[in-house]
Amino acid sequence: MRIDKTQRGWAIASLAIFAVFTTMYVAYAVNAPSGPSGGSAPGLAFGVIGFGFMIFAALLGARKRVPTWRIGRAQAWMRGHLWLGLLSLPVILFHGGFHFGGTLTRLLMWLLIITVVSGIFGAALQHFVPRVMTTDVKLETIYDEIGNVRKLLREEADRAVEMVCGPIGLGKSASEEVLRAGGLSAARTMATTGGGAVVAAAVETVVLTKEECAPLRKFYLNEMRPFLEQPRHRGSRLGDADKAHGAFSGLRTLLPQGAQATLQDLEDICDEARQLVRQEQLHHLLHGWLLVHIPFSLALILLGAVHAVMALKY
Amino acid sequence: MSTISRLPELVEITIDGRPVQVAAGTSVFDAARMNGTPIPTLCHLQNEMPVGVCRLCVVDTGARVLTASCVRPVEPGMKVVTNSEKVLNARKTLLELLMADHPSPCARQEKSGDCELETLARAAGITQPRFAKRTVSRGIDDSSLAIAVDHDACILCDRCIRGCDEIKNNFVLGRMGKGYSAGIAFDLNAPMGDSTCISCGECMVSCPTGALTNKTLVGTSIATGPDAQGFEAEELLQLPVFKGVSGTFLELNRGAIVKRRFHPGEIICREGEFGSTAFYILEGKARVSLSAPMAHVKTQGGAKGLFKKLTSTLAARDTDIRAEETRDRTIPIDASVDLAYGNPVAELGPGDLFGEMTCMNFYPRSATVIAETDVVAFEMLRNVLDIMMKNKSFRAQIDQNYRRRALENHLRGVPMFADLSPDFIEHLKESVELQRFAPGQVIARQGDAANSFYLVRIGFVKISEIYPGGELVLAYLSRGDYFGEIGLLGGGVRTATCTALDHVEVVRISGDDFRDMMDRFPSVRQGLEVVAAERAAQNQQRMQTVRSVPIDQFLSQGLMEAQSLLILDLQNCTRCDACVNACADAHDGITRLVREGLRFEQYLVATSCRQCRDPLCMVGCPVGSIRRRNSLEVIIEDWCIGCGLCARNCPYGNINLHPFEVMVEDLERPGRKKAVVKQKATSCDLCTHLKEPSCVYACPHDAAHRVDPRTFFSEMLGGGTAK
Amino acid sequence: MKRAKFWLSVGALALALVWIGWHGFTRDSRVYSSGRMSGAHAVLETECAVCHVQTAGAFSAKAADSACLACHDGPMHHAAQTRTLGCAECHTEHRGRVSIVAAKNESCAQCHGDLKTSGSAARYAAHIYSFEDGHPEFAALRSFGALPASDPGTIMVNHAIHMKPIRRVPNGPNVQLECGDCHQPGAVSTDWNYADANYTAANTSYSEQDEVLALRPGALGRPIPRSGRELMAPVRFAYACAGCHSLSFDKRFDEGVPHDKPEVVHAFLVKKFGEFIAAHPGEVRVVRDPGRDLTGKPLAPEVRVLTPTQWVAERTAEGEDLLWRKTCKQCHALSTAERERGTRILQSNRRSDEPPDSGASAGRLPEIARASVTLQWMPHAKFDHDAHRGFSCVGCHEKALNSTVTSDVLLPGIATCRACHAPGPEHAESRCFECHTYHDWSKRKEVKPAFTLPALRTGGR
Repeated sequence: MRIDKTQRGWAIASLAIFAVFTTMYVAYAVNAPSGPSGGSAPGLAFGVIGFGFMIFAALLGARKRVPTWRIGRAQAWMRGHLWLGLLSLPVILFHGGFHFGGTLTRLLMWLLIITVVSGIFGAALQHFVPRVMTTDVKLETIYDEIGNVRKLLREEADRAVEMVCGPIGLGKSASEEVLRAGGLSAARTMATTGGGAVVAAAVETVVLTKEECAPLRKFYLNEMRPFLEQPRHRGSRLGDADKAHGAFSGLRTLLPQGAQATLQDLEDICDEARQLVRQEQLHHLLHGWLLVHIPFSLALILLGAVHAVMALKY
Repeated sequence: MSTISRLPELVEITIDGRPVQVAAGTSVFDAARMNGTPIPTLCHLQNEMPVGVCRLCVVDTGARVLTASCVRPVEPGMKVVTNSEKVLNARKTLLELLMADHPSPCARQEKSGDCELETLARAAGITQPRFAKRTVSRGIDDSSLAIAVDHDACILCDRCIRGCDEIKNNFVLGRMGKGYSAGIAFDLNAPMGDSTCISCGECMVSCPTGALTNKTLVGTSIATGPDAQGFEAEELLQLPVFKGVSGTFLELNRGAIVKRRFHPGEIICREGEFGSTAFYILEGKARVSLSAPMAHVKTQGGAKGLFKKLTSTLAARDTDIRAEETRDRTIPIDASVDLAYGNPVAELGPGDLFGEMTCMNFYPRSATVIAETDVVAFEMLRNVLDIMMKNKSFRAQIDQNYRRRALENHLRGVPMFADLSPDFIEHLKESVELQRFAPGQVIARQGDAANSFYLVRIGFVKISEIYPGGELVLAYLSRGDYFGEIGLLGGGVRTATCTALDHVEVVRISGDDFRDMMDRFPSVRQGLEVVAAERAAQNQQRMQTVRSVPIDQFLSQGLMEAQSLLILDLQNCTRCDACVNACADAHDGITRLVREGLRFEQYLVATSCRQCRDPLCMVGCPVGSIRRRNSLEVIIEDWCIGCGLCARNCPYGNINLHPFEVMVEDLERPGRKKAVVKQKATSCDLCTHLKEPSCVYACPHDAAHRVDPRTFFSEMLGGGTAK
Repeated sequence: MKRAKFWLSVGALALALVWIGWHGFTRDSRVYSSGRMSGAHAVLETECAVCHVQTAGAFSAKAADSACLACHDGPMHHAAQTRTLGCAECHTEHRGRVSIVAAKNESCAQCHGDLKTSGSAARYAAHIYSFEDGHPEFAALRSFGALPASDPGTIMVNHAIHMKPIRRVPNGPNVQLECGDCHQPGAVSTDWNYADANYTAANTSYSEQDEVLALRPGALGRPIPRSGRELMAPVRFAYACAGCHSLSFDKRFDEGVPHDKPEVVHAFLVKKFGEFIAAHPGEVRVVRDPGRDLTGKPLAPEVRVLTPTQWVAERTAEGEDLLWRKTCKQCHALSTAERERGTRILQSNRRSDEPPDSGASAGRLPEIARASVTLQWMPHAKFDHDAHRGFSCVGCHEKALNSTVTSDVLLPGIATCRACHAPGPEHAESRCFECHTYHDWSKRKEVKPAFTLPALRTGGR
């Protein structure tokens, strides 16, 4: 969620809470006989409040699993998560009196710091990565479908080349899956490639002689197909837009007129493959921090609960 | 074309001494036919304009000369004699003259033995004409792939020309020449094969003789399977239902109609399958039912478990209670009877036709038909059914079945008629008229004076309103739906245009008839007036909302067709799929939303029902389960049989089918169950049961919004008016 | 990625659970400790149960006072204190290797910051927050009501003279006395520069105990044994004064009188003169010394012949006269009755018609006031001179340089201490515990030792 002017209410409230807590802490810390500690009454209060904030923040994950329960809009929960989660760090610092304490509490403090910092990092990412994704990846698809789309691209490229060169010896997949009506194919028609699972028969089939299509065949089998199979693998010049453009320009001079349309299709396919790689990268960036944030926060809650019980016991 | 019309005037004439009353404008031929006195014809076909060429239908009306009865309208007090010696003699001579030139036996007589001329001649006792044969042959034309032309057999009856012109509108055939060299010609006397003839066969079907006959080609044949029997056209012609059907046509379409035998328990057709044939039961009884479970798609697991996958199952109405679903509904199917929701089983017997929609319009089968006893049925393709439907006797039977079995339910389905007394309903049933319409034909036009009420028996009717900005489709009506009730109360003007989308047949109740009946049952009037007033008010309100916002022609992406779009703001969207999960959660595990679609600026229009103003999805549902509520949302009722037509129709891919395994009775092994895969169609319904769309509710990043495209875009473009 | 998220979450939870579970399984509670133990309790680092006693049925296992009292005794500070503190309120454990004794000022300020007193304790300062904030001037230096602060000692000393170069004996050289020539802590054995062997060897009839002021009862002293170097021992005549201040009483003798009670001195004089006259019988004939004539007074007869007893008595009186009126009086406070008596004898210059004082004149000896040496100027504080042995005496006791009278309290004021003892890393410890104790160790009870080493190491008793 972006921090924009819709967040004003929450931001002001949080700031007010923070100011109140700070004054309370300062007043307490200065007057405490043996200094601020977690076990004193204000320390315990801060600890309970801080843990409460953390639990609420952690419940966001549970909230997302019951999206239709009418227990508050997801946006309200998200705002709460952001601001209360952020507040939990100073509150817990107040709780411990800025001491990190023993083994468990030291670990907890670090878990909290890492969780909050990773959360801030993630929130910052959300301010610009979606926009980058929209502008950089025009042919964006659904992340979970990228594997399928790549497979379809390979098949399409195979067919395009085969239309021109004849069989190239690559095995065909079993029946082509019908795409969901609309959806992907609707998006694909926006691209200039031949659209969907069904190859548009608009291009007149020109079959070149073996000598004529040799450059294409060589290029396709040696460079493009491996690239389409492993687009993230470095080393293929097709991974770079300019180099790919150069490669295709070169090919254009080597192949006769009838194959130009196919070459254009292949170039578009490469472009789409590159875009999918970019989408993967951006998606990993946008969601990767969660791989730190979530496990750490879970460990934090668990160990926090253990700490609360044990600290109260002792 | 029938000359029968519902003019109120009745004329009294006598035919062969019997007084009869017929409507004014009826031809003598029809008058006689209707009253049981058939008159032989050669050039007259029921579905063509009579031309009075052959003069075989002459009768004595007391005039100076004998009158061709097919073109002569009745007059009050006319005394018609159809079987006097004079008349019979005249006919016989005519036949003799025609037979003299006829290359008997002509091709048709040879193949199917039903050359009309030769049949009539035989009936008249003519064996050897007295007159000399023509010496000059007018030739044969073998150039067409499908039809053989024997000009010598042509009696210039003009039927083929009228068939090609009036019925098929191809205008290939015409007359040429004069006198003895007169004949029919294709285009400008080109060989048939070189002309613009499209080999539809109408001319051949219309031809009474062997002038135009079928060249047997590899044609469509549904004679597959051990139970199918192809048969000779002669056999068919023996059956009463085939009376009057052209034998050469049947010959042509030998493979297009087969007789099948079914053992008890055998499945004749399955719901949801696509087909192109209709069935006509000759003997035996069959049970028609819906085997798709009457259930909504429901979630299992899902929200309760933390890591459980959403699995879907089916939940019947008892376990999944939804508002406004009732049990006394009838499900319209493609047969002469409809199924009651509470017990969706009915019986079909001899004389019942089912699969008409499938055959005529290629819609999926609406129900499962299983033979109860030994069943003998005809399975026929569309061309055969088409001809059959034009055949009067066949039609009459179909109409009668409909009236007897389904019409009452349909009538009762009209809210206005729901509480009418059985007497009234009986009267109504008898006074309705069944009318057919071709695809694209306008049944009623907006602004016309309204004087009839229509009930759809088969096919789809588009109800649309035209207003300054464009056309708004209000509904697609199918079997069991009705329209035009304003016409019943008189004095009204049609508020919408009703167009037939495909082969439509409607039940029409004329306003005058209705008002007459209302005079007899005055209590009905008030109720009807109330309902009509409500309807008018609703329409008014709808028009109000539509008119007040100008349509912006700027966006040509078809988004203006939508009344509600799900927009994802890509600047906020983190592609986290919370919207999809929420939709699935709210809709029994199946998401109605896909996070893909067209984009503009920073917005993505997600694949989710757009509540189009012209809901193409509704066209063709064989069981009428996809419909629109009074507000915008499109819903799919729980008897959806999963044929997938709506999914195919939606141009945006917003409707999807979801497969399930259900245990059904194994019909091949009675008493045991087996797992079959069933499908149900799903679509976004704006979460009206939850007051706010779940996707919008569950998006944590404030990126999902349901917007009205007109206000949304007008704000974006800066030029719109406020709502 | 969803799988990665799921498995990482499960993994993190599992890891945390295993980690904590492992510690639980091995009963290692150190992970819950909020800090290492102090040095004194370091041996209990792994023995949580020793302090965190789990009473049966209760959930809480807080370290209660009962656990501390199993090994330690913490006598109450004050019988009248309004609020008893728990051990942990001042002695916080789990702070690492710090001194557990080092209580924060705030612990003391809890009560002393706003002290509620009753009765005689009203003279205690009521708002002490720390050494630098609210701590009054030392009581010895404070005046109470109209009484200024003064040293109750009766030995008259003029420190200023002694601090300057001073002639040791008449016509002798100037010597510069050092503080240490007179003042040394009791346990220190040192060479006394100005001691006199005669005196140091002598046994006195008075005891030092009688001359010093006892510690006030109820003062909160230090719990550890005195090293004997904390406080200065009272200055003893034999070791510090005798080297210069001779107690000569008569020209005839070199030695001085013993530094002892007047009775002893008198007996000594009588004995000494008795021995002399026995050894010099001719001395009984006393010739008038014109140098001793006093104008306005009747002259003494030219020659007198006394009996030895008379002569002894006369000489004794003369000697005592010298002593009581000058020598002893120079330092001691003698009671006035005897002074008068001494005056009368001299004025009369021995009238012959007076019966000689054979012993009755010895009856009215002066009474020497108790020295009332203050041993500990700060009874409520544990000051240790040994800790400050690096400092020169006058660095703190500057007042000595200018002090001319005994009543001057030469104790350095609080400002002197605050010069070093202040908060901050570059200063000496200034927290309360540095000088004061909370527990009244005079009421200490002994604890029955119950731990055995093996048991301690394995967590049992």
